[in-house]
Amino acid sequence: MAVIFGIDLGTTNSLIAVMEEGRPRIIADPKSGDTMLPSVVALLANGRVEVGKSAIELEPHLNVERGGTIVPAGLGRDDEGVVVRSVKRYMGLGGDEVAQEDRHRYAFADFGGPVVRFKVGQRTFTPPQISAEILRTLKGWGEAATGEKVERVVITVPAYFNDGQRQATKDAGRLAGLEVVRLVNEPTAASLAYGLHSMASGRVAVYDFGGGTFDISILNVKEGIFEVLATSGDTHLGGDDIDLAVANLMLNQLPEELRRNRQVWNTARQVAEAAKKRLSAEVETGMELRLPHLTVSRLLSRQELEELAQPLVTRTIDCCARALKDANLTPAEIDAVVLVGGSTRMPLVRRRVQSFFDREPLCSLDPDEVVALGASVQAGVLMGKSGDMLLLDVVPLSLGIESMGGVMERIIHRNTTIPTSACERFTNAVDNQTHVDIHVLQGERELAKDCRSLARFKLGPIEPQPAGMARIEVTFLIDANGILNVTARDERTGREHSIDVKPSYGLTDEEIERMLEEAIDLGEEDLTQRLLIQARNDAAAILAALSKQLNEYGALLDQAERDAIQALAARLETARQSNDRELIASLVEQLNEMTTPFAHRIMDEAIKAALEKRTVEEVS
Amino acid sequence: MQARCPSCARLQQPRLFCSDCGAPLAVELDYFDVLGIPRQLTLDPAQLEALYHDLGRRVHPDRFANQPAPVRNASLAATALLTRAFRTLRDPFSRGLYWLELHGEKLARDNKEVPPELAEFIFEVQESLAELQAGQVDGNDSDHVKKRVLSAKSDIQSLLKNAFAQLDQNYADWDNRVNHQADLIVKLKSVLSRIAYLRTLERDVGRVLEQHDLR
Repeated sequence: MAVIFGIDLGTTNSLIAVMEEGRPRIIADPKSGDTMLPSVVALLANGRVEVGKSAIELEPHLNVERGGTIVPAGLGRDDEGVVVRSVKRYMGLGGDEVAQEDRHRYAFADFGGPVVRFKVGQRTFTPPQISAEILRTLKGWGEAATGEKVERVVITVPAYFNDGQRQATKDAGRLAGLEVVRLVNEPTAASLAYGLHSMASGRVAVYDFGGGTFDISILNVKEGIFEVLATSGDTHLGGDDIDLAVANLMLNQLPEELRRNRQVWNTARQVAEAAKKRLSAEVETGMELRLPHLTVSRLLSRQELEELAQPLVTRTIDCCARALKDANLTPAEIDAVVLVGGSTRMPLVRRRVQSFFDREPLCSLDPDEVVALGASVQAGVLMGKSGDMLLLDVVPLSLGIESMGGVMERIIHRNTTIPTSACERFTNAVDNQTHVDIHVLQGERELAKDCRSLARFKLGPIEPQPAGMARIEVTFLIDANGILNVTARDERTGREHSIDVKPSYGLTDEEIERMLEEAIDLGEEDLTQRLLIQARNDAAAILAALSKQLNEYGALLDQAERDAIQALAARLETARQSNDRELIASLVEQLNEMTTPFAHRIMDEAIKAALEKRTVEEVS
Repeated sequence: MQARCPSCARLQQPRLFCSDCGAPLAVELDYFDVLGIPRQLTLDPAQLEALYHDLGRRVHPDRFANQPAPVRNASLAATALLTRAFRTLRDPFSRGLYWLELHGEKLARDNKEVPPELAEFIFEVQESLAELQAGQVDGNDSDHVKKRVLSAKSDIQSLLKNAFAQLDQNYADWDNRVNHQADLIVKLKSVLSRIAYLRTLERDVGRVLEQHDLR
């Protein structure tokens, strides 16, 4: 069975890990020995893509409106490109949902549509495509380091990520040629890593303050079951925001036009970030913003940094209070607090967390690595190698539908354990109505317009009938990834209804298919191979099941039927050995159709047999 | 009605997982059958949770990540059902509502009928809330109104406590077959409706208090 790897696709840094002999291990880049891959991607108009440190090297020379003065080797004077940082902040968001300061960062980004697009020369890139480049690089590290193929992965996401953001993450995996077996929430992953490492049982609070997002999760850990009780967070609150506040200290000393220059702006952020990090150990540090014709210098004390960061940290503490309230617990009832994410290295953060929970937080595992380690622990669970360990996570935001009067009617409440489902019944409001429109929302507000639109879909076609006669049962299922699946059934006929889902944000399946075709490098070849393997496995499964059924129930078919089925099965068996994925898929479908009457007969037979048996028993 | 196991194809009695191979089954079951407990209203939360965890270990999608699609889908459906069953039965209020549903009874969704014994209290509380919201009072009066709202909050809490105690009693009566079923159904509806109303009031009071920065 293919090994499943664990990936932390972070705002600032990304990592890959795998279980080895029952322990999780971070995989380093065999070439450099680095364990962290900066989530920085350089995209050039000529098709060249760089990820990580090599992208950072190009940064001062790209992201310019026109022409830098010094041109490094390998980069033409007229080379156009963009270096994207923190792409996670754009994932699964409509253009108008992107935060103000994130919109300002890039010259070439288009925020006009349902998906953010970065334009480079003639090409455009969406956030999932950019994230896919990061995943591809990690895939390369994993394969080089272990000699195993990296095809199946667990990817972590902030607990507070909504449906669109999760879907975008899965899309990124697909575009990178990976099968995303599970998405795991970052705080939960961290608790798994600690669970394996040191924690016995009890109520645990995981405080995860990263580069771009903040999550707090309250879990109950007992006998290998990690059960999330409540989660809260902010997908737009992270170390990046502290960097911004510090950067403004220098930017404010510049004339207006310079302040608005993107290159200046981005450079200021990097200087600020470096200073912030130094101040975790030092109490004062100097900052220097070097521009072509002037230099801005400023001293920054830890105290001043903390004053700037204070309101942001307060927001995280407010989230903690909300989560505790949802879990019906007081800070005193928490047994352990775990710190995750680079931003928890700040002394201010540690002090405030300690004060709120009235206990010393645990940080024995590297806060930058713990999420990736946890992802690989979950990968181990999915491979069936972790005994009785089980993860029970929750949906972070309530799910509902828009009902009369523009009200948000909640059908699945936040912090409900997943997988979970809810049924709603719909009928036709007017005579002969052909379709029913359903608008699905996510959020906690009363009115639909204040909640996030998740998808709109049309149920139907409904058979013409008087108003109120139609009975359609719609099941909203949130799977273990926290993603919504919708199915509909006509209660009268028992048949599944077709649903045409229009996601409000994100990529449609057609767009993804197209991107898969356009894939930038060898990823494409790998993906084709994997899809073929999948098709072959499906074929093998159906042939095995059929063989068993023919053995037991073959008598229910007459000779002609039996021959036809076996002939088709033989063709499938031959196709299975070939490389023709479409042929295999088509034959599987045909075989399914041909054996449906057979399956019905088997069912009838079995029921009959059960009834007969009962009659005999009653008599005797 | 029997179900066919998506993994070993054997027919099974309706239950959460296949008795032959252990794979999850996607069937509709009532919540008591899902957890494998007898139909009674008094339940031990600790025992319920132990069953939930135990069954979860058997049918959760994480256990079937490498199986073909029909088994994975059955696991998803079975686990969602298990989660719903546990949540509904664990909370005494939702348990009661579900019980009524099993007996063909319902509480109206937006319960607009004010329970008569609470009418006066509710009126007073809503009046105080309105006063506080309108900001009509100032100075000493304002403190007075705030005090009234705060004390209303604690009144509601103790009324709820009583209602839940009564609910527990009703449940015990049912299990011990005290009184007629029809009688108990009327009593259940009444106390559940009272709880629903009080909770809504509690929520409204809580909101107003938060807006005015009181707790």
